[in-house]
Amino acid sequence: MSELDCEQVLEMVWGYLDGEIDEEQYVGIHMHIEKCGECGPRYEFQRKLMALVERKCKEGPIPSNLKQRLFRLLRD
Amino acid sequence: MGALALAEQVPVPASADRQQFEQMVEEHLNGLFGAALRLTRNRTNAEDLLQDTFLRAWRSFHTFRPGTNARAWLYRILMNAYIDNYRKATREPEVVDHDDVDEFYLYSKVQESDEYRRAGNPEEAFLQTLMDADVKAALESLPEAFRAVVMLADIEGFSYKESAEILGIPIGTVMSRLHRGRKQLEVALWEYARRARYVDGARPEPQKYRSKDRPSADEGRR
Repeated sequence: MSELDCEQVLEMVWGYLDGEIDEEQYVGIHMHIEKCGECGPRYEFQRKLMALVERKCKEGPIPSNLKQRLFRLLRD
Repeated sequence: MGALALAEQVPVPASADRQQFEQMVEEHLNGLFGAALRLTRNRTNAEDLLQDTFLRAWRSFHTFRPGTNARAWLYRILMNAYIDNYRKATREPEVVDHDDVDEFYLYSKVQESDEYRRAGNPEEAFLQTLMDADVKAALESLPEAFRAVVMLADIEGFSYKESAEILGIPIGTVMSRLHRGRKQLEVALWEYARRARYVDGARPEPQKYRSKDRPSADEGRR
């Protein structure tokens, strides 16, 4: 497989970050990002940002009184 | 209260159906509650939406095929309940075209910022300044069509295909909304971060992504 350039990587990078591409493409992008001084830090930042958004937007467990109220609905 | 407490003590013979339903729903309630909060942006409405979702799911439980994706099935019901209850007025999602936002918008902003550069590692410094409330508010500032898809893919971890099924839209639309939604989220995160921290001479200003008067070209064709 020929090596990917930055532009080709950019086209596929969201699929890469989302785990939505096949393994061969994944490996190609990964190899490029590992050694490219332009792309590397950008995708690293993107990955960290996405992890942070996920972490910060997750809510705690559902309040137990709400949960009880829901299950009680099935018994009325 | 007395009667209720008494009723709870007397075990009602639960049908097999109800037990199955309770088991299936219980493990997804935390996620559904969080999703309802992000969608409605309001605690009371989120509880109402969750209750509606719960009852709808129970009523159509006979249509659920065991072995298929229960989580996606429940989120689809949640989305439909949300649309029926909270989007009656506007049939079309409000969408602003933000394709003019550059790739790596946030990365570039952080790199260009004197404040963050002074910290040595600008990216880390920026990420560390983001508060939970900033990130939630930034997500909630997105137009609904983008908010829903970013929430499903980035917070709830659904695949493109699952998100498409949940929202009843083509995969290509999921991908394009996700891409644009994430860009808008970056713009919003930058605005929230600088207003909260007063970096780069930030002052409160109207946010561009709030202007909802310009529907995008591809959304109209749905």
